[in-house]
Amino acid sequence: MRCEECSDKLDRYVDRELNDTEALQVQLHLEGCPDCMDHYEFEAHLKRLVKHSCDCDTAPKAFREKLRQILS
Amino acid sequence: MAEPAAQTAFAEEAMTHLDTLYRGALRLTHDPDQAQDLVQEAYLRALRYQHSYQAGTNMKAWLFAIMRNLFWDRFKGSRKEDVSLDDLGEFVLFEKLRDEGARPEADVLDKIAASEVVSAVDKLPPLHREVVLLVDVEGFSYKDAADTLGVPIGTVMSRLHRARQQLQKSLYDYAVESGIVRPGGMKQVPQT
Repeated sequence: MRCEECSDKLDRYVDRELNDTEALQVQLHLEGCPDCMDHYEFEAHLKRLVKHSCDCDTAPKAFREKLRQILS
Repeated sequence: MAEPAAQTAFAEEAMTHLDTLYRGALRLTHDPDQAQDLVQEAYLRALRYQHSYQAGTNMKAWLFAIMRNLFWDRFKGSRKEDVSLDDLGEFVLFEKLRDEGARPEADVLDKIAASEVVSAVDKLPPLHREVVLLVDVEGFSYKDAADTLGVPIGTVMSRLHRARQQLQKSLYDYAVESGIVRPGGMKQVPQT
């Protein structure tokens, strides 16, 4: 696999959307290519940053209780 | 109408997805009160139409679909106009930072506050924002995101790609404005 192909598949690799064969090909390339490995780790880090920044909002307790009563 | 026991079980399972729905509604409306109204209406609608939910399938995706459809109906008049994002070309933050000598590149991410990331997500057009919410924040597969949004998987992938580029550009602009990186020379501020 060339670096360009790895780069094209990096989003789907990070999102775990490649099939097993493609994922293995990307993994093998990453293990032998420090530049692409750095890129992969950056993209994975960014995805975690987006998740952790946005998933700290939770439904207010009072709203949760109100909804529970409405649905019961 | 479902039997009381079945309705109770349905409501209890639905409530386990409340935080996901509330977060999504909050990011879509940018207003806690509107988010609560939207989520409440989504739950009432879900209860009314629970017969159309197939037990054992993805209830979180089903509930999210109800909520986001209500959002579009209520706030956008069902006009899911495809607000175009600025044409950034191929903006890849990693490559941009590497070109400017910011090594290791991930250190820049560590200096960006969560509130700035949320702000960058909030600036995305809703059609792109909701894909980021589903895939990056809630961990939906492309297929579940496609089913939730009622679009082909290819549309999810293209919206996600554009959204991430815009997001990375916003974070880069913030990093430059705040002095985390300085374009044209390197450039990272000292460790704090």
